Amino acid sequence: MEGTILRTENLRVSFGDNLVVKGINMEIGEKKVTAFMGPSGCGKTTILRAINRLHELTPEAKVEGKIFLHTENINEMEAMTVRRRVGMVFQRPNPFPTMSIFENVISGFTLNGIKLKSDEKNHIVEDALKKVALWEEVKDHLKKRATSLSGGQQQRLCLARAVAMKPEVILLDEPTSALDPLSTAKIEDLLYELKGNYTLIIVTHNMQQAARISDMTAFFYLGELLEYDDTKKVFTNPKNEKTQNYITGRFG
Amino acid sequence: MTPYDIQGLKGRRIKDKIFTSMVWLLTFSCLAVVFIILFYIFEKGIGSLNWALFSQNPKPVGETGGGLLNAIVGSLMVVTIGAIIAIPVGVSVGIYLAENRGRKLSDRIALAVDVLQGIPSIVIGIVIYVWIVKPTGKFSSYSGSIALAIMMLPPIIKNTEETLILIPTTLKEASLALGASYFRTTMKVMLPAGIGGIFSGCIIGIARIAGEVAPLLFTAFGNPALNFNILKPVDTIPKVIFTYASSPYDDWHRIAWGGSVILVSFIILLNTIIKIFESRWKVQF
Amino acid sequence: MEHLQAEMDALRNELLEMYKLVLSQVERAQTALIDNNLSVVKEIASNEKLVNAKELQIDSRCETILALFTPVAVDLRFILSALKININLERIGDIADNIARMVSHTKPGFDRTLLEKINAKEAFAVSLDMYKNLLQAFEKEDTLLARDILIKDEYIDNITDESVLIAEEYTKGNPDSITQAIPAISIMKMVERIGDHLKNIAEEIIFYAEARVLKHSSPKP
Repeated sequence: MEGTILRTENLRVSFGDNLVVKGINMEIGEKKVTAFMGPSGCGKTTILRAINRLHELTPEAKVEGKIFLHTENINEMEAMTVRRRVGMVFQRPNPFPTMSIFENVISGFTLNGIKLKSDEKNHIVEDALKKVALWEEVKDHLKKRATSLSGGQQQRLCLARAVAMKPEVILLDEPTSALDPLSTAKIEDLLYELKGNYTLIIVTHNMQQAARISDMTAFFYLGELLEYDDTKKVFTNPKNEKTQNYITGRFG
Repeated sequence: MTPYDIQGLKGRRIKDKIFTSMVWLLTFSCLAVVFIILFYIFEKGIGSLNWALFSQNPKPVGETGGGLLNAIVGSLMVVTIGAIIAIPVGVSVGIYLAENRGRKLSDRIALAVDVLQGIPSIVIGIVIYVWIVKPTGKFSSYSGSIALAIMMLPPIIKNTEETLILIPTTLKEASLALGASYFRTTMKVMLPAGIGGIFSGCIIGIARIAGEVAPLLFTAFGNPALNFNILKPVDTIPKVIFTYASSPYDDWHRIAWGGSVILVSFIILLNTIIKIFESRWKVQF
Repeated sequence: MEHLQAEMDALRNELLEMYKLVLSQVERAQTALIDNNLSVVKEIASNEKLVNAKELQIDSRCETILALFTPVAVDLRFILSALKININLERIGDIADNIARMVSHTKPGFDRTLLEKINAKEAFAVSLDMYKNLLQAFEKEDTLLARDILIKDEYIDNITDESVLIAEEYTKGNPDSITQAIPAISIMKMVERIGDHLKNIAEEIIFYAEARVLKHSSPKP
């Protein structure tokens, strides 16, 4: 694929004796939104977390095969370096509760010990908050606790926090499943706008969401990649019968 | 209402009332006991609270007057240094236990902490006597601090561990996902998030040992004179209360009651601090 | 939902283009018949390809929007009506093309008197008038205007019914004119069908704007 930013080669992930991801070969396009979908337990979140090596938090997790960010093998890099270049937004909004809104946005830098001048910080925070359409709502309250925001706002804050680091790829693990429909719609619009400048990979349980915002959709089942194509094709005429059964709701 | 509702309804109502009344009664009696004790102590000791109590050292046997200055200073020294030793160690162990749940070493440490909690304070005092006082040949305030620190460890460790466990993992993941090191994540994200609980644990630890006598009998020992040197023995308030209360002198009894009031007030103060800070520093996730 | 809105706007624009494209085809057909202008016949034939391509484009976009956005309420009604409007417009385009062909096959040209007698000019004029009103009704979502069109269709039906009788009379007097009368009547019938398709489109506009179904019912809603 042209403009590939991420590539997996026979990626396998196991937890103890349990092989959850069974040899995935795929290429993620740069500056595109790619959706991972599939029934529970299909391995989509596992793959996502393998990309920024968060699987290492689980002692029994083992990754085999290769993941390349451009041409570098992710598993041979320093984990912290990978995570600075690949950002993540989680299912439940998780801003740092002891920090203010301002401090949260800039936390990627402070937690990495990167010293910035005051006006650099202001610039980064304003820029990131504008990108996630939160600036107007919070610009007069930057010193307030981050937890004083609503759920949808908190999730946008987490997105701002990730975006502030100017990552090459942003991973989103069911970013709207804990939010109400209005906040969900706001975030989907946001992701649609961000896609011109960032590569996004979204794991979602919500097929309609995958249909609405992604360019490419990957369908996983029991640890295997069954279909991976343009979203329009997948939703109008999928090649794999299981894909069709899943998206028409006829699964199981 | 069906017949099944009415059946036995009267009986259930009566049982309910009996149970509720019993709970109220027992609660009230517990509280009553606490208040009676506190009231008694304050009644007996409030008269002794004068400037002399806080500013003078004890007078020799037979002379009236004197105060608790040396004991107050001694208590402060022993408790403070004990805290300085116990808090970093306790918090670190608590962090280890919270981060490494399920590991064999963690299980063993947890067991050790439980055992430690159950060891009688006098035994700890004797152990420190054997380890430090005998080899150095001297009683000292710092050996008392060490004994107290050992006693403070279980509540500090337990509270730290429990507080950190309650912090959602997703917070740690958020920090790590930004590329932060494990150390920075712990210091700048996890500990600040748990500061309320950890702080309570420390205060609880201090409250526990502030009134201890037994571990200090063979370590800090006692000292009628005012002393700021940690290498020398010191008196502490509970120790003085013990000595004076078991003496035949009325004057000493009076001072003992005064000391009791000071000690009890200190404990009440600590507990109040815990309550205030718990609500102030409550972190929402 | 900016993404969905962008797609819906694109669909609306494509439909408008289709409207205008087919309108110009009907106008050309009128020119061919009434003014006996055969040069436009080639234009109509080549534009017919455009019309077909546009129909496919609109169908594809409707399919995409349905698959990717699962629209509901007014959005869903718009798409459903867009699909039907699309077909109806394409048929009108076909009819215009057929009329043009018929004109070019009838040499040396239609008898002027015959055309006048059967009111071909008026039939075309009314249908073009209906068409332009329809375009406006669509652009402005003016259901009152759309309802007007339902009434006008009756008028065309009357003209064409009469034209059959008039043609019959005419051929009785001029038996040779039958070679012209038959295609002339066909053309009148085709204009009537244009009116029918326009009526269908008007019903769809009312459906999507008011969620009222007027198909298969009497014209007075």
